[in-house]
Formats: sequence, C-alpha cells, structure tokens
Amino acid sequence: MEFGPILSTLRRHKITAFLLVAEIALTCAIICNAVFLISQRMERMKMPSGVAEHQLVMLQVANIGKQPDAKARTEADLAALRRIPGVKQVALVSQVPFTNSSSNSSIRLDPKQKLPTLNATQYFGQDLIKTFGAQLVAGRDFRPDEYMDYDAVMRNVDLVRNRTPSVIITSELAERLWPGESALGKRLYFADIGVRVIGVVKSLIRPSLFLGDDAAQWSMVFPLRMNTDNASRYVLRTDPRDRQRVLAAAATTLRKLDPHRIILKKRTLDEIRSDFFRNDRAMAGTLLGVIIALLTVTALGIVGLASFWVAQRRRTIGVRRALGATRSNILRYFQTENFVLATIGIAIGMMLAWGINLFLMQHYELPRLPWFYLPVGAVALWLIGQLAVLGPALRASNVPPVVATRSV
Amino acid sequence: MTMFTYYLELAWRRCRQNVPIVLLVVLTMAIGIASCMTATTIFAALSGEPLPGISDHLYVVTMDSRTQGDANDAAYDTPQSLLNLRDAKALVDAHHADSQFAQAQSLAQVSTTDGKHSDRVIGLLGYGSLLSTLGVPFRYGRPWTEAEQTAHAPVVVIDATLAEKLFGTSDAVGRSVTMGTGTFRIIGVTAPWKPRMQFLGLTQNAGNLLGQDMQFYAPVGAALDHGVGPLNTGKCAKSAPVVNFQSTHVTHCRWIEVWVSLDAPARASAYRVFLTHYAQAQHQAGRFVQEPKPRLFGTQAWMDRLKAIPGDVGLNVVLAGGFLLLCMINVAGLLAARFLRRQGHVAIRRALGASRRHVFMQHLVEAGALGMAGGVLALPLTWLGLWVVRMQPVAYAAAAQFSPGVFAILALLSLLVGLAVGILPAWRVCRQPPALQIKLA
Repeated sequence: MEFGPILSTLRRHKITAFLLVAEIALTCAIICNAVFLISQRMERMKMPSGVAEHQLVMLQVANIGKQPDAKARTEADLAALRRIPGVKQVALVSQVPFTNSSSNSSIRLDPKQKLPTLNATQYFGQDLIKTFGAQLVAGRDFRPDEYMDYDAVMRNVDLVRNRTPSVIITSELAERLWPGESALGKRLYFADIGVRVIGVVKSLIRPSLFLGDDAAQWSMVFPLRMNTDNASRYVLRTDPRDRQRVLAAAATTLRKLDPHRIILKKRTLDEIRSDFFRNDRAMAGTLLGVIIALLTVTALGIVGLASFWVAQRRRTIGVRRALGATRSNILRYFQTENFVLATIGIAIGMMLAWGINLFLMQHYELPRLPWFYLPVGAVALWLIGQLAVLGPALRASNVPPVVATRSV
Repeated sequence: MTMFTYYLELAWRRCRQNVPIVLLVVLTMAIGIASCMTATTIFAALSGEPLPGISDHLYVVTMDSRTQGDANDAAYDTPQSLLNLRDAKALVDAHHADSQFAQAQSLAQVSTTDGKHSDRVIGLLGYGSLLSTLGVPFRYGRPWTEAEQTAHAPVVVIDATLAEKLFGTSDAVGRSVTMGTGTFRIIGVTAPWKPRMQFLGLTQNAGNLLGQDMQFYAPVGAALDHGVGPLNTGKCAKSAPVVNFQSTHVTHCRWIEVWVSLDAPARASAYRVFLTHYAQAQHQAGRFVQEPKPRLFGTQAWMDRLKAIPGDVGLNVVLAGGFLLLCMINVAGLLAARFLRRQGHVAIRRALGASRRHVFMQHLVEAGALGMAGGVLALPLTWLGLWVVRMQPVAYAAAAQFSPGVFAILALLSLLVGLAVGILPAWRVCRQPPALQIKLA
C-alpha cells in the first residue's frame, strides 16, 4: 500500500488533517457514549413488572364524602364489573404498578432489630395476585378465609398482632432477605407485628421507583380487603382486544351504580407503563437525534474537505495518471488516506470516549462503558468516512492525464 | 472602519465563488448553535432562583421530630422537612428569623356561597407571614393578620383567576366562598402566582418541577377547623387515626414545612443555634423520641439535595456542547481548506504591501461574518428545537420558551463561534511566505 506518499502529503496539510482527525475522534467518543446511554434507557424501559400488562385496565374513581356502607357498595361494584362481557378478573386494589403512588413500609427480620432491613412496598386487595396475573413460583395464593378487612385491621391492630397473617413476596425480595434459602414459612416484622411468607411471586414491580431501580422488585402483597372508602383503583383483566370496550363499559357501570362519583382515570396498563417511562423515551429519542446529527455533520465535513483536496491536487493527480497510475490507484489513494485519518481519529476517540464515560459516571450515576461499545463507534466512523470520501475520490479518479500538460 | 467594510466586500465576493461550501459552513454552524441554544435555554430556565431575590434568603428547617414511633419506623438517614403543626407553630411564633412561615399544599373545592360556581384548585395552607415573605403580588386587599390567625378567623386570599371564575371580577374582596364545611371571607386577591420552580413541599411533589399556580391561601388553623386539610398527610405516628388524602385529622402527623427568611449568613448561623436549642429542649422533655439532628438548608442546597432538576437536563447541555464543538471543528477544517486554496491571492496581497496582520484580520472578518450568518439561520432552528422539546412529554417541557435574553446570547454566541473557528485557518494562511506562492499563482 502507498502509506508513504499519503503520510508525506498529510504532513504538508497539518492543520486540515489535524482538524479532520479531531472531528472523527470527537464523533467517535460521543457516539460510543450516546449508544451506551440509549441502551441503558432501553434496558430500563424493558423493566419487568410481573403483571399481565397487555390484559389489564385500570379505573380510578373518587367518591364524594364519607361512605358508611362502603363495604356493601364495593361488593356491588365488583359484582357488576364481573358481569361485563369479556372481563376475566376484577379487583379493588390499593395501588397499581407504574402509577407513581405507593404505600411503603420498613421491614425487619427480627422485631428487636434497631434499624429496619429495608423498605418495601405493600399491595392490598382481594384477588390481587390472580387479577394482576402475577406468577407464583413457590407456595400458594391466599385462601379466601385469610382475607381481612383493611378498615378493621387499621382500627384495631390487635386483630393481627397474635395471628401472624400471611404475606406473599417477590422472588427478588426473598433472595435479598434470605439469600439461598427458601422464603416459605419465614417471618417478617412491621414494628412488633410479625407476618409469615406463604407464597413467592416471580416478580411484581413497585408502583414508584423512588428508592432507585435496584429496589424496584421489593414488593409484598397482603390479604387485606379494600373498600370504596380506602381504595380507589379497580383493576380488570380481559383479552387484549377487548380492553377499550371493557374500559368504557366499566366506566358506565360504575357511574350507573353511583352517579355522584368521579372517574379520575381510565387507562390500560400499557398506557400507564408507557407514560411512566416517558422521560427515558424522550432522552433516548434525543440521543438518537444527536447520533444522526453527529454522523451527518462529520460526513459532510469529510465530503467538503476531500473535495477541496481533490480540487487542490488536480494537477498532481494528472501527473500521476500520466506516469501510469490507473484510475483505481487514484481511487484507492483517497480511500486509504481517509482510512488512515479515520483510524488515528478513532484511536484518539476511544480514549476520549473512556474519559467522557468517567465524567458521566461521576455526574450522572452511570455504570462503566462496556468495552464492546468502542468497536461499534469505530466501525460506524470507518463506514461513514469511506462513504463520504467515495464521491470526491471518484471525481479524482476521473481526472484525465492530460491535466498534467496544462498550466493551471 | 473602511478596511473592515473592504474585508466584508472581499468575503462576500469570495463566498459567491463557491456557494455550496459556504452553505455547508453556515448550515453546520447554525445547527451547532441551535442545538446548544435549545439545551441551554432549558437549562437556564431550570436553574437559578425559584423566586428571584427572595428564595436565596429562604431556608427550610429539618429535624427528626417524631414524638413516638411511626407506623413504619424508618431510620432517620435523610433530613426531613415535614414537621408536626405544633412544632411548626412554635418555630414560627418564636419570631427568631427576619420573617418565617409554615406551609403545606392543599387541594380544595372552592364555591360561591350560592353553590352556582365552583372550582377544584390547588392552594397553600399557611401560618405566619406566608404571603409577604414569598412576595406574592396582591391585586386587592391584604394578607391575614396575626390576630385573625390566632382567632382562627375563616378568611382566605384567592388569586385573580379563581376570583374571575367564581365572581366574574377579580375584585372579590369582601365576598365569601365555601370551602370544606365552612364559609370563608375573601380578604385579598393576588395576581396569578407560582414560583419559577417548585421548591416548597418538594418531598411531596417530586416530578412536578414547574408546579402550578397557587389559587388560594388560607390560614391553617381556620382551614383545619372547617375540613380543609393538606393534600398530603405526610407521616403519622402509630396512634394516629387512619388518615386519608385531604384529611384534617393530622394532629399526630408531620406534614407542614417551616421556611425562614434570613438576610445575612451570620443570621443563619444564629438561627441554627436557636433551632438546636429548640430541638434539644423537645428531646430532653421527652417529646422528640429520637436525637433530633436539626438542620437548616438554603433553597438551592435543598433543591439540589432532593434532585429537583432532572439529571437529563444537564446531560443534554453536555451533549449539545459536544455537538457544537464538533460543528466548530468541522467548520474550521472547511475554512482552513478554503483559505489555503487562495494562497496565491494572499501572496499577491502580501507582495503588494498587506501586512500579516491585515491578512489575518481579513480572514477573521470573513469567518466572523459566516458565523453571524450561521447565527441568523440558527434563530429559526432554535425556535424549532424548543418547539420539539415542548412537544415532548417531559416534566420540563413548558420551560422551553424563547425569550429576548436567548436572542442576545444567540447573537453573541454565533459571533464568538465564527471568530473561534476562523482563528486557526486565518493564522495558517497569514503565515505563508509571499514569494513562493506568487510563483505558484
């Protein structure tokens, strides 16, 4: 290959060559990090919820005033909702994944422990596991006789103090609390009240990730029955195709049973989820836009510079052609030149990418850039460089040898 | 000056010779400047003082004021700003700061007494000099007095928007509204008001960065008497009755924040001493069961601590800055190639007596002019960029607004960018020895 003449030419165009290398290095560095950031956001958006998302719809209602007959009304509501064609399961629950509103509790493994072990979220509602479609991996679901009224328990905690009620937790929480052991039969404590784990679900995300993504799966489900006075969210499970119809029918049904209540929200869980991750989606979109813009600008810069060089060296090219160089020699010359510059740029860019990653790790709590993102940036820039230089290089290869004989 | 116009004329003539490259240069600069302007506009809107001139003197009080174990007894590892009403009142009534107030957000159905007009609005329950300390602008009337506050007089201040909605006029002073179970007399009407960014009650309003207009302000005593409770009951002690959203049974709960205004840093340290005394006294008397660890946070420190501004905003500025840098390198490369192509012309000018300085200036003027052209093009692009951000479903979307200040920064930035990218190529071209190049020409 003809590296010798290329290097000596570049040495004569130090500034332009330097600027091109700098441009490629910077693009490479930003792209490596941007692709990494996008993958982080995409990964986050895929976070498992553990519920049958495509089959769930939620209605949030607000009642006006205190309701003395809340329990009877709840039964009537649930019965009417169950009668809607296409509805498979119905539950009135205290909280729903991705709604950003949650009830949480500190738990201890020993009642005498001074500091709590961790903070987990608590789901209440009859038939919650079945309705959500959470997958039991160990133990069992609650038996109907295990359910107690939330109101009654809150009014008089002694009802549960000596009964050791049941709880179902997620497998991640189980592994966190008792690593390597079976959680079934183990006890958890809320202040001095103990509960016993009777079931483990594969996953159930907490409604709000205020403790960070690592604590996302720390959820517990209790056999507590809610009523319209202390819970506001009806969750219905249906076939994905029937969701809109069921939502509309459920809203009509609820309004018919009590015209005074307000339906605050009626949405599918897919919509709720999509809304929950909207910041991540917006950021991923921005980053994608940045990558496209960077590559375009770099490509245009390479085209511009290469065109100038070709125009500047017309006479030299003519001389080489007259001395016997073929068209493909000339074409290859410019391609190789671009490859050399791109390679230097990429080498510097990788170090820069690493530096930027260190900066981001400090300021934005990002993990370290995995090494395989570096070749991604490198390949992208080699390709863009070769594509961008192709036009000017072809033009150069079309310079006729006769140019050598003309004075410019 | 004449040289300057001559250089501009030269630049114009040269640009016409190679329009595509000039367009490429201008467009690249415009895109770089526009992306940078878009990101910095949002960043600027979300940084700085939430209430210019006021919030930099404000401090929030935090302490572990648990009087008994909570229903879920967590370790006190982060400072908590929510206090029991009794402690909030005691701190405000001590009058140890320049001015002080306690506040909590509330959501209330506000109706005319005949019930014909009604609206569900967000407002503040306050104690102390809430309105005057925050500088809420009054259209009519006045804030509540200490006497009214002590007597639990049912008075309320509403904002002009609500007044017009209920009464068809903003001058509603003297009329009455129904809130909760009571009738409140309107003693003042404020202009529509909210801080630039939410900083009050941050722990209960995460994610609602820009907040919304506060439409009513009621003294907390009268409000609780008449069934108007806080939006969020905060954390309640074990013995507390079961409380719901909007409950007024908040005696055993910590739900209200105390903010104090202190003009000088020395006053802040004096206040810290007072705060420590208060908290320790409560602890020793056995009221606060835990070591209270009282602290005072300035507005900015408090917002930073609770990460009120999403990290994405800063990340966007870093990205846009990197992008602008890339565009500048790109343009510098193109300009260098462009300038060096005319070595012949430069050599002739040098031979005819132009000094290096002149040649340098000439090229710098050309670069600066191209930069300004880029700036002009960046203006619609920035507008477009902000529009795109406003379309995004992110918390800070509404902050993406074009303002005259943005325009001034844009003009300055584009000139600077033009000059910065021109320096290297211009320096390179003026270093050419004249004799050699004449031969080539």
